[in-house]
Amino acid sequence: MYDLINYLWETGLNLLFSPEIFEPLVFPGLIAAFSLLIVVIWLERKIAAIIQMRYGPYYISRHTEGALQLVADLLRFLFSEVIIPKSVDKIAYVLAPIILFAFTFLPIVVIPVSKDFAAIDHEYSLLIALALMTLYSSFLLIVSWASNNKFSFIGGLREGFLSLSYEIPLIISALSAAVLFDSFNLIEIVEKQAAMGWGIFYNPLAAIVFLVVIIYSTSRYPYEIAEAESEIVIGPFTEYTGILFGLGMGISYIKLYSMSLLYAVLFLGGWEPVVWPLNLHPVLPGIILFIKAFIIVAFSVFLRAVYPRYRIDQALRIAWWKLFTLAFLSLLFSYGIKIIEVMG
Amino acid sequence: MGLLTNLVDHLKAIGTGLKYLIPRRLTLMYPEYVEKLPEGYRGYLRYDNEKCIHCSLCARICPANAIKMYRGGDKKLRPGINYTRCIFCGFCADICPTGALEYTTIQDIAYEKLEDQVYPPEKFAKGVPQPVYPEKPIFIIAKVDEERGLKYDRV
Ligand code: SF4
Ligand code: SF4
Repeated sequence: MYDLINYLWETGLNLLFSPEIFEPLVFPGLIAAFSLLIVVIWLERKIAAIIQMRYGPYYISRHTEGALQLVADLLRFLFSEVIIPKSVDKIAYVLAPIILFAFTFLPIVVIPVSKDFAAIDHEYSLLIALALMTLYSSFLLIVSWASNNKFSFIGGLREGFLSLSYEIPLIISALSAAVLFDSFNLIEIVEKQAAMGWGIFYNPLAAIVFLVVIIYSTSRYPYEIAEAESEIVIGPFTEYTGILFGLGMGISYIKLYSMSLLYAVLFLGGWEPVVWPLNLHPVLPGIILFIKAFIIVAFSVFLRAVYPRYRIDQALRIAWWKLFTLAFLSLLFSYGIKIIEVMG
Repeated sequence: MGLLTNLVDHLKAIGTGLKYLIPRRLTLMYPEYVEKLPEGYRGYLRYDNEKCIHCSLCARICPANAIKMYRGGDKKLRPGINYTRCIFCGFCADICPTGALEYTTIQDIAYEKLEDQVYPPEKFAKGVPQPVYPEKPIFIIAKVDEERGLKYDRV
């Protein structure tokens, strides 16, 4: 009997700490993403408040400057009624945000935490991550279509325009990192960076384009166009209430998080450097990866206080003229570096 | 070339944002901190029934029609005020020939009902309503500061 319990305990523990379960569920997946969500939305409001010389969230927990505000908001979302309007396409209306939320998580699973700890260690893991990221906008379109509301529809339309324009620079700038490091495997890319130096120093152009695309595609200012509160209420999520709205609010932050993780892996040297206490367990280097991603996330939300919003035509012009050209230049740049390497 | 100046402009904007990341808040945590207002502030009005000579000038000058004259038992007219209308311009206090109307520095009064804000002469003469704070507030005075614009000092 005792042996059996011991056996179950050990296999259970092993299963939990196996990368296939641990990554999607605990770190950098669900639990880490949720804690980040709570901290980041508070941080966004706080930073904007400080820059505008205000206080921001405060009364929920006075001693921590209102850090629990988001927990309170989440509780309120959980307990408020979900109203399903008569005119909506019910199945799509309820399911689309949930599926959208799930799919926004998926790219995180592909991102390795350290050399020996990855849920999916595939030769083309970079391409898998990019492909999973592009699912986002199609489901957002379904959300906006199902709501049968003009504001949702306009928001969805804007998102459609934007996603067409940002996906090409996104993929090309990611591919120029792949060219630079001669691999589509995220683990190998980080290993190469450990040997050569960070990708951002080799190809700053690609790093800048990718960073702008992160801000562009996750509706952060100045590209907060699909959700433009002062113009179209909250875009695709106008008709939503309760926890479904809460999901909608969190989705762009989760996407921001997953893209920042990818950015840290491609351009900021991933989990390197692995120094002493971090080499004790294969999951520990992930802390460095998380910190790097967090800095990107914090920077993106900080921009809310700096920029006003672009009009959609301005954003499209930036994407098609500047980002598109710069992305191609960065690809050529990577090839140039490769050629110099081969010749030298 | 345009791209480069563009980049410099963006960096400048971000730099300005970073510069303001040091907290220098201008707003006040209101019920904990309360501003002591300067003399001559036009707040709620004090009415002295003894000094009033029933001339009705205050009701005539009031641009918001907030003052209404009530005829009392002694057939004399006395002012009553409706604070839902008053814009705190202070004209009534300025025109009052005997100083029966005065402005005070009190301004933060909350009411539960709209009707509570109407003061007939008897209620008006009883004195100015006093603000209620959840706990004893810290009083501060606002000062103009060359660099910041506004600065708060404790009383
Ligand atoms: S302060 Fe101005 S608005 Fe208010 S009662 Fe006097 S005259 Fe009328
Ligand atoms: S102006 Fe002064 S004295 Fe004349 S009615 Fe009004 S309060 Fe009385």
